[in-house]
Amino acid sequence: MSEPLILAVPSKGRLKEQVEEWLADCGLKLSVAGGSRGYMAELKGLPGLQVRLLSAGDIAEALDAGDVHLGVTGEDLLRERGGDVDARVLLLRPLGFGRADLVVAVPKSWIDVDTMADLEEVGHDLLARSGRRMRVATKYLTQTRAFFARHGVSDYRITESGGATEGAPAAGSAELVVDITTTGATLQANGLKILTDGVILKSQAQLAASLRADWSPEQFSVAERMLRIIEARAAAKESAMLTWPADPRETPVVDTLIARGASRRPNGLLTPATWIAEASLALADAGIGPVTASRPDFVYEVGCVAADKLRMRVEI
Amino acid sequence: MRAEPAVPAEALAAIRAPFMDLGAEIVDAPILQPLGLLLELAGEAMRARLFVVQSEGGEETCLRPDFTVPVVRQHLDSGRTSGRYFYEGKAFRASAEPDRPVEFRQIGLERFDEEATSIVEADSEIALLAWRSALAGGRSDLSLWLGDIALFAAFIDGLGLPDVLAARLKRVAARPRLLAAELARADGETPAAAEGARLAALLSGLTEEEAAAVLEEVWSLAGVDPVGGRGPAAIAQRLIRRAEAAQAPALTSGQADAIRRFLAVEDEPAAAFAAIKAAGGQTPALSAALAAWDERLGRLVQGGVPAAQIRFATALGHAFDYYDGLTFEIRSAALDSDRTVAVGGRYDSLPSRLGGRAVSGAVGCMVRPWRAWAGGEA
Repeated sequence: MSEPLILAVPSKGRLKEQVEEWLADCGLKLSVAGGSRGYMAELKGLPGLQVRLLSAGDIAEALDAGDVHLGVTGEDLLRERGGDVDARVLLLRPLGFGRADLVVAVPKSWIDVDTMADLEEVGHDLLARSGRRMRVATKYLTQTRAFFARHGVSDYRITESGGATEGAPAAGSAELVVDITTTGATLQANGLKILTDGVILKSQAQLAASLRADWSPEQFSVAERMLRIIEARAAAKESAMLTWPADPRETPVVDTLIARGASRRPNGLLTPATWIAEASLALADAGIGPVTASRPDFVYEVGCVAADKLRMRVEI
Repeated sequence: MRAEPAVPAEALAAIRAPFMDLGAEIVDAPILQPLGLLLELAGEAMRARLFVVQSEGGEETCLRPDFTVPVVRQHLDSGRTSGRYFYEGKAFRASAEPDRPVEFRQIGLERFDEEATSIVEADSEIALLAWRSALAGGRSDLSLWLGDIALFAAFIDGLGLPDVLAARLKRVAARPRLLAAELARADGETPAAAEGARLAALLSGLTEEEAAAVLEEVWSLAGVDPVGGRGPAAIAQRLIRRAEAAQAPALTSGQADAIRRFLAVEDEPAAAFAAIKAAGGQTPALSAALAAWDERLGRLVQGGVPAAQIRFATALGHAFDYYDGLTFEIRSAALDSDRTVAVGGRYDSLPSRLGGRAVSGAVGCMVRPWRAWAGGEA
């Protein structure tokens, strides 16, 4: 038996639940071997694939190092790996959950500071006046450095923070923070505000592939199968199937709809889900009907964009 | 690790010889340097170029990126007033470019003088030393690039600007974006309407304590808990200063042009100095600075640097922004301009930034033997 394809998924917390829901929704139910505390698992319907349960941070590291083939983790964690991440990891699909923004936040009492340009000046003043550099608490060193450099802010120091970064200004260990936030409520509660141009990254969970892992043709074909299923499910969620009794007058209406992005199916049309009403009414107005709209479970295209991208990058 | 290949002993000895001729004291520096101190001096951007090392539970250190800071600290610790120190050894800087060596040999000298009267002499000696050492490597395509950080302030003083404006320009001299913003203001590009301008107007007539008290009242009305860092006084001050700056005299477009012309100067020295004179007003300080440059150039040419191989550029600066007077680079036509054979300059204010007493004169230079040697870096 050849080596299995390794997929890493988060092992705990809200992100784990969301990933499991998403996989189950695709018909790929996660079954953990060795009880609920196990750290190995399989996906129902995908033989040749082994699931490893790791922390989100470890997944980013494992993808970067090539220890796993595929993984689900936050884009913020992948970007933090530093250097040219895109040369080592390929983002295959944003998953629409695990949303979090990496932001620059300063005390609300700084009513003279709203932008990165203000920060540049304040840092410069502080250094000129006190000989000390403005301190930025964060655990996102790489992205902070790159973002500050892009905005010309040079007079600062990073103080590495393990946890509870947002409390650093109140504790006096830093003047401002770069931290991850979903609603901004925690920052707010700690007397901080986000700079108007201080959003470093709008992050969400991503399905990503490691370009450093060894890919055998067998492993790639398992990955392709999984990607096709995921893409088919995602396409289905955005589509609706319209059917009606065949009618000789339908051609002009159907052609207009096809020109706008619908596609022909043997007994009707596949349209974006957002136009169900619009398209149905257009047909009804032409005297065609009754129109039945239904939502497909899966829509398999002939090709698979994500798999093609991956094939090119891993050269299989 | 990409280590630089070794320079043959004979060639290395030739490159080292001019240093030995000066009879400087030989010093070494610990390979592990305190990380915090270097970042405090050079800023966070430097971190990407440093190799950070830490033992379990120990303080964060880095492999020495150069010798200047440790040698200055040794000099300060010695309690001596003047001294010349020679060093030679490996330095370490990370590089994003895969072919660049990250471990390389440096030979250098730092000179401290108690007497400020020897500025021109010390500047010339250090630049000549670097030139002779680099030249001993056997390359025939070297050029000496000169600059002067202090010249900007002297030039600004010659423009007859209001004091606040002149002070602000000098403060942002080493921050290209802030300087560009100030120049843009002359062209009628007003910065985004300063928010809190009315509050600033309210605060501007008050004493520092009163202004701080008003600000604290504003916070409590807005339900803001001030956290850490900057106090009300600092924030009030900046609000006022920002409002003043927005109303305060901006540069005229003529003055902005003069500054742009000054910053663009890059030419053979006589033409460069003529361009500086033509760009700005005449003041005793600027005339004195330029006269001192005539003297430096005289000494350099007399010391053996062919006049045709000297260039002067007002914008010459280095990665560590601790230079505050003369700066220079020796470049080889065969190497990109950022792969300098030797660099150096004056850094009078560095010792006091390192917590030591002010030293009136501090200059230094560093030669990269592998780049100086004709058979070396290509």
